[in-house]
Parts: sequence; C-alpha cells; structure tokens
Amino acid sequence: MSHHLRNTVALLAICAGLAGCASKTALKTDSSTAAIRTAEELGAPQVAQASLHLQLAKEELEAATALHEDGKKEEATSMLLRAEADAELAIALSRADAERTEAENAMERVRTLRAQNPYSTGGDK
Amino acid sequence: MKLYSPSALVLAALLVGCAPKVPMELANARSTYHRASNGPAKTLVPAELHKAGEALEQAEVAFKDDPKGYHTLDLAYVAQRKAELAETLAIHASESGRMADANASYQSTQDSIMLRTRSDLATSQTDLAASQSAGAVTSAQLAVSEEARLLADQRARDAMEALAKLAAVKEEARGMVITLSGSVLFASDESTLLPAAQTRLAQVADTLLTTKERSLLIEGHTDSQGSDEHNMALSQRRADAVRAFLGQRGYDTARIRAVGVGEGRPVAENESPEGRANNRRVEIVVEPAAKAER
Repeated sequence: MSHHLRNTVALLAICAGLAGCASKTALKTDSSTAAIRTAEELGAPQVAQASLHLQLAKEELEAATALHEDGKKEEATSMLLRAEADAELAIALSRADAERTEAENAMERVRTLRAQNPYSTGGDK
Repeated sequence: MKLYSPSALVLAALLVGCAPKVPMELANARSTYHRASNGPAKTLVPAELHKAGEALEQAEVAFKDDPKGYHTLDLAYVAQRKAELAETLAIHASESGRMADANASYQSTQDSIMLRTRSDLATSQTDLAASQSAGAVTSAQLAVSEEARLLADQRARDAMEALAKLAAVKEEARGMVITLSGSVLFASDESTLLPAAQTRLAQVADTLLTTKERSLLIEGHTDSQGSDEHNMALSQRRADAVRAFLGQRGYDTARIRAVGVGEGRPVAENESPEGRANNRRVEIVVEPAAKAER
C-alpha cells in the first residue's frame, strides 16, 4: 500500500468515525433546564415547597444525563419527564406563594385604610 | 380445623399472582388526582385538572402494558406532579381572586372616603358661604346703621345752624342749649306767649322737629325782682307754656320736661336793666342722643 493510499484510508476512517458520532442522539434537556432556571428566577429557593421540587428537578436532570451517558437513552428521556414536571411544579408553587403574599398585603392595605379613616364603611371582606 | 381443597388454594394463588402490584408512584398519582378533582381545582382550573387526568390515564395504560417498567413509574410520577400542579394553580387562582377582591374593596373604600370628603367639603363651603352671607348682611346692617347715625348727626348740625339764627345756641355737657330771651317771649310778669314770640318759637319748634327723637328739657328763668316763690312759679308757668306750644307744633310732649328754675341761675348781674333782661329767659336743652335713650 502506497503512502498516498494509506492516507486516504485514514481519512475515510476519520470521516466514518465522525459520521458515527453525528448519528448519536443528544439528550434534549433544553425544556427542563429552562424550567429550572425560571423556577430559580421566581425565587423558588426561598419557598419551602418550591425549593424541594426544584432540588428534585435538578437531581432528576443529573440522573437523566447520567443515564444518557450510560447509553440508556430511553430511560434518560423518561427521567427528563420527571425533571420537567418537578421544575414546573416549583414554578407554580413560587408564583402561588408570591400571589398569596400580594393578596395578604392588599388586604392589609384595606384594613389600614379603614382604620385610619373614620369615613370608611363596611367590614373586611 | 377447616381444610381447603388444593384446587381452591391453587386458584387463589393464581389470582394473587395475576394481579400486578400497584407501584407506589401510581398509587400516589391516583390519590393525588382524586384529591385534586374533589378540591377547588375542579372549578378554578378545570383545564389543568384535565391535563392531570390525561397524564394519569397514560400512566394507567403504561401500567397495564408494563406494570413494573421504568416508563410506567415515570409516567405515574409525572401524573402525580400534574395533579399537584393543578392544585397549586387552583391556589394561585384563589389568591388572585382574593387580591382582586381586596383591591376592589380598597378602591370602594377610597371612593367612599372621597365622596364623604367631598360632601363635607361642600357642606363646609355652604356653611362658609352662609356665614359670609350673614356677615355681609351684618356688615350691610352696620353700614345702614352707621349711615343713619351720620345722617342724624348731620341733621342735628343743620338744626343747630338754623337755630343759631333764631336764638343763642351753645353746646354744654348737658346738651345743646337754646336760649330765648324772656322779654321776647312774654310780657312782663306774664306766662302767655306774645304773638311775635309764637312766630319765632314756631321756627324753633320746626327746627327741633328734625331731631324729635331727642328729649327736651325746658327751663324757665327769671331775674331777681320779686319773691323767690313768685319767680319760681312764674318760671314754671313760662316753661310749661313753651312745652305746650312745642307740643302743639307736633313734638312729643312725653319727651319734654318743663322745669321752673326761678332766679337761682342768673347768667348776668341783676343790678342793671340789661343784666336782668338776660336773666329773664327760657332755655331749651336738647339732650344728647345717648342720654335721651336712657
């Protein structure tokens, strides 16, 4: 085998290897990663229940990644469903907590307004 | 001891063996969904509850196909989270409603306060306007009263000037004193007004009528000739005569006092004819307004 031929074979081998790598399906973590980030931005770490589910989502994302690296692609994808579900729940819990705080503040404003003004009528709702 | 037949035991064993054990994830998903579908989520977030129901259904299907498979467990886990999500969103909706109610209540309370404040302000403005109006009326009344006083003073000054042409007039502490000569008014030792005196006294009376709200004091005076008793009586009669004449001219006699002073208060010496002539006199005292009112 001439030197030129050896180079050609090596190049083909590299191309084949690259083609093989390209055919591997990457784990689609975008959705769960984005949900986890949103939960953190909404203050989930400061809300007890939300914090728990945020932590679960992170652990499940790690588990999914590990499964994927182990070649267990379907299990990894299925595990990602858990991560997304927990992240979404963390988001909802954070928002509900913020809404509860806002509602309490709004009611307190009404109570204060009525207490400070003798003209107001009616009781608290 | 009762013994079961071997066939029954085999059948029981087969039944137990055939019924797959429900995994914890699916049991949790079922109970959570049951709780959510019986809570506020049913009415507040029915769409989210429906999604949770669909997720549970997927888990149930997977459970039938592969009771112990990882995908079954994952789907059941997700179904539980979907049910919890529906419950959480229901809480969120409930809190939103509570906040909306509180905000509406705040607004209505503010409106109520605003209306009441405006009402009070309007009342205050009305009261202020009424007060100012009353003040204006009082001011107007004061102005009218002041104007009337100035007019009365002016009339008095005019009368005084007119009287000065008819008789001697002077201001004293007891009021304006008009002195008429006795020799002009009466014949000697008489108390009947002479015809010429009546004309002159009529002019005086007309002038006095311009200030008829004033009280008058008419004093009769004599010289020192004759007895005191006689002079006292004569001076009283002359004072009475003048009072009667003024009454005839329209002056309220209730406001006129007639006093005989006699020879007691001479204004000149009685030794000379001129002095005695000055002492024989009638004085009409126009009392000050304040004194007249008392």
